[in-house]
Amino acid sequence: MSAVGAVSTPSTWSVPEVQHPHIEIVSTRAQRRARPRLMSAVITVAALFAILAAQLLLSIASSEGAYEIASLQTKHVELSRDQQILSEQLQVLTAPQHLASEAQSMGMVAASSAAHLRLADGVILGEPVPAGGVAPLRVMADGSPLIPDALLSTIALVGSTVPAAVTAAPLAPVIAGSATAATAEIPAVAVPAAMAPAGPVTAIPSPQTH
Amino acid sequence: MTAARSTKRRVAVCIALIVAVLSVFVVRLVDIQVVRASELTTAALNKRATAITTYAARGTIVDNHGVVLAGSVLRYDITVSPRTLSKLKTFVRGQGSQKALVTLEQAATELAAVTGQTPHDVLTAFTAKPNSDFEYVAKSVSTDQMRLIRNLHIPAIYPRSHPTRIYPDGAVAGNLLGFVGTDGPQNGLEFTENKCLASVDGSSTYERGANGVQLPGSAVTTRAAVAGGTVMTTIDHDLQWSVGQMIAEQALAIGAESATASVTEVKTGKVLALADWPAVDPNNVDATPAKSLGSLAFTAAYEPGSTFKPMTAAILLDKKAATPLSQVVVPYRWVSKEGSVVRDATPHPVQQLTLAGVLQQSSNVGISQLAINVPSKERYTYMRAFGVGEPTAIDFQGESAGLLAKTWDDQTKYDVSFGQGVSVTAAQMAGIYQTIGNGGLKLPLTLVTGCKHSDGTITDVPTTVGKQIVSESAAKTVVQMMEGVVTGGGLSSLLTIPGYRVAAKSGTAEVALNGVYTADRIVSLAGLAPAEDPQYAVIVTFTKPSTIKTSAAAAPTFKKIMMQVLKTYRVTPSTTPSPNLPTTW
Repeated sequence: MSAVGAVSTPSTWSVPEVQHPHIEIVSTRAQRRARPRLMSAVITVAALFAILAAQLLLSIASSEGAYEIASLQTKHVELSRDQQILSEQLQVLTAPQHLASEAQSMGMVAASSAAHLRLADGVILGEPVPAGGVAPLRVMADGSPLIPDALLSTIALVGSTVPAAVTAAPLAPVIAGSATAATAEIPAVAVPAAMAPAGPVTAIPSPQTH
Repeated sequence: MTAARSTKRRVAVCIALIVAVLSVFVVRLVDIQVVRASELTTAALNKRATAITTYAARGTIVDNHGVVLAGSVLRYDITVSPRTLSKLKTFVRGQGSQKALVTLEQAATELAAVTGQTPHDVLTAFTAKPNSDFEYVAKSVSTDQMRLIRNLHIPAIYPRSHPTRIYPDGAVAGNLLGFVGTDGPQNGLEFTENKCLASVDGSSTYERGANGVQLPGSAVTTRAAVAGGTVMTTIDHDLQWSVGQMIAEQALAIGAESATASVTEVKTGKVLALADWPAVDPNNVDATPAKSLGSLAFTAAYEPGSTFKPMTAAILLDKKAATPLSQVVVPYRWVSKEGSVVRDATPHPVQQLTLAGVLQQSSNVGISQLAINVPSKERYTYMRAFGVGEPTAIDFQGESAGLLAKTWDDQTKYDVSFGQGVSVTAAQMAGIYQTIGNGGLKLPLTLVTGCKHSDGTITDVPTTVGKQIVSESAAKTVVQMMEGVVTGGGLSSLLTIPGYRVAAKSGTAEVALNGVYTADRIVSLAGLAPAEDPQYAVIVTFTKPSTIKTSAAAAPTFKKIMMQVLKTYRVTPSTTPSPNLPTTW
């Protein structure tokens, strides 16, 4: 190994720097187009997450809805039970035997005659007789109605709790006014004070016998 | 060198282990996912899914104003799982400061207070069969009671709902409605109209979570519930009650065994009220003897007696075989040319009566003498046309056709003219008086006007086509003659309704037992008002009264019922006087 030799045979470390031009593989336009773009990737992933999130939210919402439905259904059942209880009570309370005993306990009696007041002209048809003289409704020995109703056994009459002033008020017998031509214009003259109409009754012409 | 080998061995062992574990998992996975997949899916669904029955209510029966006569409500059976409950000696109720320890005895006492049982009974239900999962504690408790029991928070207590029938008006029309027993509809309209009333329960399955909340979107309705239809009747429940109350009062007063009364609208054939005594409360069927459960007005045929005479008179007038003024000589006892003997109800001197007089005095002898002016065969045809011998168009459950012999012997041909030797039901009598009141035009009697389905359609509407049985003038003349019973007959004072013209006919029939007439009577009164243009036919019948055995027993009730009818339907008083046809000559 000498210096000349060293000069004539250039060693690797003394190789002079050669300026190569920058070369790289350029993809073709088709290749470039085929390559996934960053934006699409981002959008896809984002959309995926969005879908997953929406699905999650929807299912949370729908299960919350299920709870709401369940609670509303429970409420509906309870309310329809209320409605059923009340309509059952109403149906039983309107039973005619109950109404009749109720009316009787309030001091009412059945009319003993069939007479009509014709509103069109105030004419009394038939022969009115003051109510009374009618025997009270007959009941069984134990006080239950002759036409029984087991559903009424638990229902107490309210008539006896009505204030005495209401039941004891004497009912004025209906006395017909003097007989004249039946016309609506006849003022309420021959009507005793006891049966003078009050309030809205003034709209009805005064009774006249025919 | 040795270190490398041991590392290799360790890796191999690890891999072997991982493979072993993985293969166990794989086998398990295949087993679950493939081999037993369907079995496990079913089991899982069964854990989540609940099948529930949606009850559809049995239809209602309503009166002519839509008032419910028979309806369905929910009642609850309180059930217990003793297997769960009897293991607990105590349980905790409430939360926080409200927390309390409750013993089974306490719970039983609380529950018994709600249901009205004894605490011992309830405790027995809780503990008697400790291995049972299902025992009844109380049956058919109301919704209010069920809520109170639920608020006791006793574990393993479950209410089970089931629909029950209620009859809000009780015994009002109870004889007509029938009832629903444990084996289904048993009687009356509940039975005959079952096709309309019956409902179809639905069922649905849904999946639920551990807390019982339905999983979203899992509902699967397998069958929709179909509610029953509404049976619309012609009954007016208020009038029905009035009529029932009135015959009940009189039946008790005269010691009658049974009674019926009907109100029929003559222009339509609609039965507005048809009451029987003893009355049945369908809410409490056990309180009524079995023989009174149906409607005697339809099922009991009886010899009507003199209430038949107006029909005989109508036949005579229609055949022009008599006029209201036809003259008859009426002895108390009369022997026909064939040797048959006819007697009047009470002894009397020989009378000279017109046909109107025969009806007023209710003479068997008089009507017999006139009746044979029309041949038996023709009278038979007429009577069949009036509806004798066949059930009415209502075709009530167990309805009797009555009995009318096709051929009449020499005694029967007289007897049938005054209602003996023939039997009818009170409903058939209503049909006969409807025909006379409606100018001879017989309309089919109606009790049910149709079945209204949940979608609003109405089916099973009965026919309303009528048939002219006798001429209008014959029918109207008969009504005028019947007015004579009210204006001048022996019952006049009991029958007169001030302001109204009423036509009526009494009847007292002997009750035959084993072919022999007994001292028992069936007394009746049938009539029409207002007589100038009949609107309503009322028929009252008392069977076997013990104190008064004549139609005087039925007359006051007839008058009360007729007056109630005239008031209820606001019939204005008559403006013309009764014709007062001559009764003697």
